[in-house]
Amino acid sequence: MSYMPSLALGLCLATIALPAFAQEGSALSPRVVNEAAVPQVMAKAVDDFIIPGYRNLSNKTAALATATAALCQAPSPASQDKAKAAFSDLVQAWSTIEIIRLGPALAQNRFERFLFYPDRKSTGLKQVQAILAKSNETATSAATLKGKSVAAQGLGALEYVLYGNGSETLVGKTGDFRCRYGVAISQNLDSIANEFLAEWQKPDGIQAAWKNPGPGNPEFRDSKEAATELLGIFVHGVEMVKDQRLKPFYAGTVDGVEDKGHPKSAIYWRSENTMPSIAANFAGLKTLFDVADMQSLLPEDSRSVAGSADFVFKSVIGISQNIDGPIADAIADDKSRGKLDFLTLNTVDLLGRLNKDFGGAIGLGAGFSFADGD
Amino acid sequence: MGATTGLIDRRTFIKMAGAAWVATLGARGAFALERADAVFASAFMAPDGSFGVATLTEAGEIVERTALPARAHGMAYSAASKRTVAFARRPGTYAMILAADGSAEPIVIAAADGRHFYGHGCFSADGRLLYATENDFAANRGMIGIYDGTSAFARVGEFPTYGIGPHDMTLSADGRMLAIANGGIETHPDFGRTKLNLDHMEPSLTLVDTETGALIQKHALPAELSRLSTRHVDIGPKGEIWFACQYEGARDGLPPLVGHFSHGADLAFVPLPESTTEALANYVGAIAVNRAEGLIGLTSPRGGVAVTLDARSGAVLREQRVTDAAGVAAARPGFAVSSYGGRFKDHESRVAWDQHIVRLSRS
Repeated sequence: MSYMPSLALGLCLATIALPAFAQEGSALSPRVVNEAAVPQVMAKAVDDFIIPGYRNLSNKTAALATATAALCQAPSPASQDKAKAAFSDLVQAWSTIEIIRLGPALAQNRFERFLFYPDRKSTGLKQVQAILAKSNETATSAATLKGKSVAAQGLGALEYVLYGNGSETLVGKTGDFRCRYGVAISQNLDSIANEFLAEWQKPDGIQAAWKNPGPGNPEFRDSKEAATELLGIFVHGVEMVKDQRLKPFYAGTVDGVEDKGHPKSAIYWRSENTMPSIAANFAGLKTLFDVADMQSLLPEDSRSVAGSADFVFKSVIGISQNIDGPIADAIADDKSRGKLDFLTLNTVDLLGRLNKDFGGAIGLGAGFSFADGD
Repeated sequence: MGATTGLIDRRTFIKMAGAAWVATLGARGAFALERADAVFASAFMAPDGSFGVATLTEAGEIVERTALPARAHGMAYSAASKRTVAFARRPGTYAMILAADGSAEPIVIAAADGRHFYGHGCFSADGRLLYATENDFAANRGMIGIYDGTSAFARVGEFPTYGIGPHDMTLSADGRMLAIANGGIETHPDFGRTKLNLDHMEPSLTLVDTETGALIQKHALPAELSRLSTRHVDIGPKGEIWFACQYEGARDGLPPLVGHFSHGADLAFVPLPESTTEALANYVGAIAVNRAEGLIGLTSPRGGVAVTLDARSGAVLREQRVTDAAGVAAARPGFAVSSYGGRFKDHESRVAWDQHIVRLSRS
């Protein structure tokens, strides 16, 4: 794209020009979270990011269920394209909100049922192929599909149905079983999305706990615990992109040696949603960072930490959106590989800013990750 | 031997460690070293982000420190061979063995191909063998790596842990069994520290024969406690094995967090008061037994608390607020507790103490 040179320059500045906060002497200096700001930050996170995010997810799953049902009723290339477009829309919505991997997402295996990834042993692929090969009718009803393996009922399974080997049958009658399995997955995703939304919308449920940290709270006993949980979303979110989403398909250039890449290990490679999904992960994190007003948690003299993080967020979103087409092509192309290297570098930089700099500034003396026990 | 593969060239590393050691040893440190009264060791992170391991006095003052190539986690000590080991934090690839009296150069071992360390291990009763919890990540099997202390800690074999995601491991009182906390969480180095199976965890505690590697006893946690990761163990006053857990479920789940079992006997959870379970924030980061005084020490960085239990009755004797509580080890009297903020007993140092402390003597 035409704006690449200036974008690249911006990224260079992001990696070299910003002052590192956690130098010797400051890393262990006593810092405290701005306790008074915490309840409002938590409330904004819930009201302005989490609930709207799950509402958007629910809208997209409903649209997908409609589109897949229409495909089965009137199979055609046009209706298949509509179903695929609805799938990609849903991947965007999910990738924005999947960073909230806590609370209702941890209950009843909802996260894994929605997205089973990484699937190192191709468990999901084998199960989906078996369902298709045997025309297992119990997979064509959302009610019975729900009880099957988590790997056979979520986004990965649906991607194979819509894009995998044999998906060309969806435009005709021979694809009937495959299509009905796709509808069941879509309805299952819609049910899970509605559960997410309902759980977060309950006035006396998790949102009440998030908005009122304190003694007797089922989630957070005090403001620091709440702020730590919130910061954890960012640190774990960036770590997830780095370790689970980027590294499996391209490890970068290490000591001058370029990784040849593993495009088929990339998430959503079949539907070419790998980079759009990664961009949405980062965009979701940045939106949450901004709308929750994370910087208000920082002591006055440390607010530049938030500005630095925000700058790198913009960089990683921009570069992710700038890598187009099949991921195998991107890995094979020198220019795109350079962008991936840049993205990897900036992702590591972002992690440090959130983990050490932000964590240190809100009183986690040795940084967020250091404090995760084990 | 193991050090010929992996990330670290041993000679380069020792040079680096030696230089850093000299650089960090100020006049005060040299004075402390002469006293030779080191009774604890713990890993730490320095203010500049570098990692090391330090020995400390009974009062919690640093005696000496040495650099480490990456973050360490658990430690072990052998009174018989006077050696201390620091294990890399999961999914780490190195362990460093130090002669406690400084009589020999440190030895760095690297994880074998297809394995990584989980951050804990222990020595055999005679101090000649070192056992490390490891991950056979391709097969998702917990393993015990066996290293020969008489031969520069060459890897001489391995046993299964009979579980997934082993974490802490200790030697039984009679020296014939390894007691292992299989946390039940699947991880893979490709995906960093991400927990891959929170929907189907398989926590268990096992006893494994040190001679044959045979499974002697296994306690899988019941289905309703499948999100309760069994992580740390220590040996009680009567040889019973105490274990402590970390809950991966909801914050208000209030699961049992501490218990004990023995060879031939079933698991028994200690019914802690609800207020103590809440204070521990569903997360015990470290456990230690003071055998001489019949006490169990627990720390929770999440809850910011250190708890002392009576080993006989399980009663809570003491609950102390310690911000970012990290390690715990038997002291005289009671326990030494450290923190991420640099506190060790009542002494503050400019380091972030890591999660575990080892006592350099039998207590």
